[in-house]
Amino acid sequence: MKILVPVKRVIDYNVRPRVKADGSAVDLANVKMAMNPFDEIAVEEAMRLKEAGIATEVVVVSCGLPACQETLRTALALGADRAILVETDVELQPLAVAKLLKALAVQEAPQLVILGKQAIDDDSSQTGQMLAALMGWPQAVFASKVTVVDGKAKVAREVDGGTETLEVSLPAVVTTDLRLNEPRYATLPNIMKAKKKPLVTVKPADLGVDVAPRLATLKVAEPAKRKAGAMVADVAALVDKLKNEAKVI
Amino acid sequence: MAILLIAEHDNARLKAATLNTLTAAAKIGGDIHVLVAGSGCGPAADAAARLAGVAKVLVADAAHYGDQLAENLAALVVATAQAGGYSHVLAAASSQGKNFMPRVAALLDVAQVSDIVAVESADTFVRPIYAGNILATVKSADAVKVITVRPTGFDAAGEGGSAPVEALAAGPDLGISKVVSRELTVSARPELGAAKVVVSGGRGLGSGENYHKLLEPLADKLGAALGASRAAVDAGFVPNDYQVGQTGKIVAPQLYIAVGISGAIQHLAGMKESKVIVAINKDPEAPIFQVADYGLVADLFTAIPELTAAL
Amino acid sequence: MSNYAAPIRDMQFVMKELAGLDRVAALPGYEEASPDLVDAILEEAGKFAGGVLAPLNFSGDQEGSRWQDGAVTTPAGFKDAYQQFVDNGWPALACDPEYGGQGLPRLVSMVVREMWKASNMAFSLCPMLTQGAIEALALAGSDELKQTFLPNMVSGHWTGTMNLTEPGAGSDLAAVRSRAEPQADGTYKIFGQKIFITWGEHDVAENIVHLVLARTPTAPAGVKGISLFVVPKFMVNADGGLGERNDAWCASIEHKLGIHASPTAVMVFGDHGGATGYLVGEENRGLEYMFIMMNEARIAVGLEGVAISDRAYQQALAYAKDRIQGKDMRVRGGGDVPIIRHPDVRRMLMMMKSQIEAMRALAYVVASALDHAHASPDANDRARNQAFSDLMIPVVKGWCTENANDITSLGVQVHGGMGFIEETGAAQHYRDARITAIYEGTTGIQALDLIGRKIARENGATVKAVIAEMSALDAKLAAQEGADFATIRKALAEGVAAVSACVDFILANFAKEAALVAAGSVPFLKLMGVVSGGWQMARAALAADALLKEGSGDPAFYRAKIATSRFYADHVMPQAAGLARTMLEGGESVLALEEAQF
Ligand SMILES: Cc1cc2nc3c(=O)[nH]c(=O)nc-3n(C[C@H](O)[C@H](O)[C@H](O)COP(=O)(O)OP(=O)(O)OC[C@H]3O[C@@H](n4cnc5c(N)ncnc54)[C@H](O)[C@@H]3O)c2cc1C
Repeated sequence: MKILVPVKRVIDYNVRPRVKADGSAVDLANVKMAMNPFDEIAVEEAMRLKEAGIATEVVVVSCGLPACQETLRTALALGADRAILVETDVELQPLAVAKLLKALAVQEAPQLVILGKQAIDDDSSQTGQMLAALMGWPQAVFASKVTVVDGKAKVAREVDGGTETLEVSLPAVVTTDLRLNEPRYATLPNIMKAKKKPLVTVKPADLGVDVAPRLATLKVAEPAKRKAGAMVADVAALVDKLKNEAKVI
Repeated sequence: MAILLIAEHDNARLKAATLNTLTAAAKIGGDIHVLVAGSGCGPAADAAARLAGVAKVLVADAAHYGDQLAENLAALVVATAQAGGYSHVLAAASSQGKNFMPRVAALLDVAQVSDIVAVESADTFVRPIYAGNILATVKSADAVKVITVRPTGFDAAGEGGSAPVEALAAGPDLGISKVVSRELTVSARPELGAAKVVVSGGRGLGSGENYHKLLEPLADKLGAALGASRAAVDAGFVPNDYQVGQTGKIVAPQLYIAVGISGAIQHLAGMKESKVIVAINKDPEAPIFQVADYGLVADLFTAIPELTAAL
Repeated sequence: MSNYAAPIRDMQFVMKELAGLDRVAALPGYEEASPDLVDAILEEAGKFAGGVLAPLNFSGDQEGSRWQDGAVTTPAGFKDAYQQFVDNGWPALACDPEYGGQGLPRLVSMVVREMWKASNMAFSLCPMLTQGAIEALALAGSDELKQTFLPNMVSGHWTGTMNLTEPGAGSDLAAVRSRAEPQADGTYKIFGQKIFITWGEHDVAENIVHLVLARTPTAPAGVKGISLFVVPKFMVNADGGLGERNDAWCASIEHKLGIHASPTAVMVFGDHGGATGYLVGEENRGLEYMFIMMNEARIAVGLEGVAISDRAYQQALAYAKDRIQGKDMRVRGGGDVPIIRHPDVRRMLMMMKSQIEAMRALAYVVASALDHAHASPDANDRARNQAFSDLMIPVVKGWCTENANDITSLGVQVHGGMGFIEETGAAQHYRDARITAIYEGTTGIQALDLIGRKIARENGATVKAVIAEMSALDAKLAAQEGADFATIRKALAEGVAAVSACVDFILANFAKEAALVAAGSVPFLKLMGVVSGGWQMARAALAADALLKEGSGDPAFYRAKIATSRFYADHVMPQAAGLARTMLEGGESVLALEEAQF
């Protein structure tokens, strides 16, 4: 079976994002970018399914600027077989990405699409679910364990307060949570091979998808800094503050 | 303008997050209808009817909503939203809301606004991005706004209403997924790195025995993980995997309670990203107070039992 | 404990703008080294260094390698990390494709090795010594030896060591006493004791291939009587599998100031009848092979100085941004600030940063020259690059490692009291850095090599060419506008004059009063380092300015590069005049006292 793994190019996990001086957006100029960490987990899971003989081909997709090619090459260096870049300079929102992925899923007919549960830039946590809805497929999001047997996927997923195990028919969408696996590091031979693996570029128009954004960002700002600490007189005052001011208990 | 709010519940009771979501809905303004979909969920629907500010409760009671499967739930919500001509669909940004709501948005062909922490107007919301390092104000151009609400961003709504409860015909059972099992962690203490609350002890506790005697009941009450400073680990109070700090675990819980910890810089490096920091120490000059949101200068041998009792 | 993030942006800048990656990639055999492949390699190697090796650096130091009954156990995590290192194919990066290598240029391998060294110096010594052993075997070994040992060494399944030093033979290897007795089957039986053998025994790989210097019974005395042998820990069967245990044993490991995770072994050969060894190349030519191999080992150790300095800098910088203490002098009535706001803390950080960048630039430029020396199709070009790297290697080795001691010490200083506390980790870098100026030839030995073999022996031909090249930059600097470039230009001109005067002094006096010249050889080596570094920083400033004007890339990085070059001109280059004076005038006082007067 074929697995499709969408990967997003985002600001590197270690870089602290800064707001542009005019507050219009996050300043991404000359900032180190990398593959969304949850997507690395998705690539890893796909590779493990391939190595286990369950998947036969792993196709990675990225949507966005030409520089997303680097992210795709990274995925190829981790072992993916080929890559598709949907190139556009329009700001892509989850619904638009889900529609692009739908078009590719129709073309490629994968049995599984594995995505990260969210991107660490916009933290939307929507794309996988939206794709599943558009395809009419089942979904198993926030996965911590995936097994594929007899045309079905059994997925343990992280829910508030524990785990829930779902059985979904294939094709299906799975999104990855942190505990699913620990992504590998690329091997040197694979890094060198990645250069020669096929990478095709298409445009949203080729896929017949309107990617115009639906949400306008009016402004971005850094949250208020940690207030100077206050001393409390006694335990009762502390409990009161925690309950009513900080609202953490 | 009417708002459809999808309740989160366990059939018998509403989950707390529903109350915060209701407050967010009230800030948007308009009639608020609460949809309770479940299996044998009458009591939860009745609870929703008693909430202040709810105009109507819709109940879809069918076996195939028992497990709150995203596919079935989304189909029902989409049909209900379209039939009722709602301008907004809201749910809590819990693991459940995050599961089914994007499906709803996609099927309605609208964007979802995830995890809002403030309402600016009926179409403009504030939401954290970049792991909360940045707050974005976004405006939706869609006819229907599908929104998930971060519960900690809004107060809980109170009781005092008596809304009518109306039964809804159940939607289809799509049968493409099913729950095989559930394992809910009830008693086991959460893992240090992932816990929402961490109670940490330092050398001020004096011994391993005191550490356990004083901190465990407190941690049990709070559902907290237990941590320790390097000094407490070196003194042999607790094993090394308790250590929070530069050479131990880096934690960033919602609430970090440092007990008898002076606040060496290495310790601070491991916990200073915590949302709320409480320090309890008898030395008013302890550096830990410089990073604490709430400091209590007290003898921990009396303060901790008192705190445990007060929770 | 501290994190390590490979300084990929500066690495790329130096490779592309100063070390001529494009010209290296144009050399026959290196076509694969396209910029995008190199970028991908740096990216992924950086992840491995930061994610796998760096987290073991502190714990490895605390735990150290342990010896018991002849076996060495490395610290927790090292075995797995090494296995992953091998599985991911990193050892093969620059090796000959004939033996399973990837055949990438030295320039690329140097940059990647900087990451291994910076993230975990003790760990990195294992592949470094293996690389040295591979090069020695590849250089002089018979086909049979190469076929038997190289594929498993290139893959990293077997590691290698260099067994040169003995209790009585360190700087002067002519004093080696280990014996090699020829056997009827063409092999030799090796007897003797070696000390300080890095990764001489360990548990991270299944076999260890020792390269051992020893004398045959008929060998002439001195340097011309030393031969090189391969002595495996386990014999290799005809089918390539491992056979009997050879008579080569680790008698103990040293307790050291630093690099605690790297086992430094006392090796005993032949206590149980003789260790089987195979001659590499011809008898009595061992030291000659070693010296060819040592060129690369020395630049690698110089790079270690760059790497450990950078690790210390990253840690100090993070601390300086974090530690709150005192007020900002420039803000009246302001609150407490992070210490990076204090001018002297900034000065320390800039001293670290500017010298690291200068050292990195010089090391990569020399690595690139080695690639040209090996692969250029043009014989003149090969010769010119060989001469340049021969001249510069003792400078890179000596200057970068001596600087590493100062820079890691500054790293401690930036931390204040916390720097002195082991838990912080800054002290480890300081301790680890200390060995770099000692092994692979002490700074004193590098300096002798520089003034003698590399300058006096060829009558200064290469160094004069380098001086001319440095001087040629003056016109370009003069064409630039602004105070930064004016300062850089003046500092470089003074530095070049200082080097020139010392070279004249060496050439005039070496033949007749070698001791007088040798007395100032280390100050001269440092002078060469300081000025060569300034030369590279001036080139860097010009390149950054050109890119700024072109409008491509990250303007903040380029402006910082120019400012850093200016800082170097203000704070480091003035050392040149003082060092020159020491060399020119200070020799006699060095030699003045009778031993009894000390
Ligand atoms: C941790 C560690 C790892 C090592 N790893 C290896 C290894 O893997 N393989 C190996 O073979 N060796 C190894 N060595 C040995 C190392 O290369 C030698 O220690 C080094 O070359 C210096 O030799 P020595 O210790 O005998 O010092 P000496 O030669 O006794 O030098 C003492 C001092 O005298 C100076 N000196 C000596 N001769 C001269 C001279 N002619 N002119 C001016 N000054 C001079 C030196 O600069 C030094 O300051 C290692 C050493 C250490 C400590």
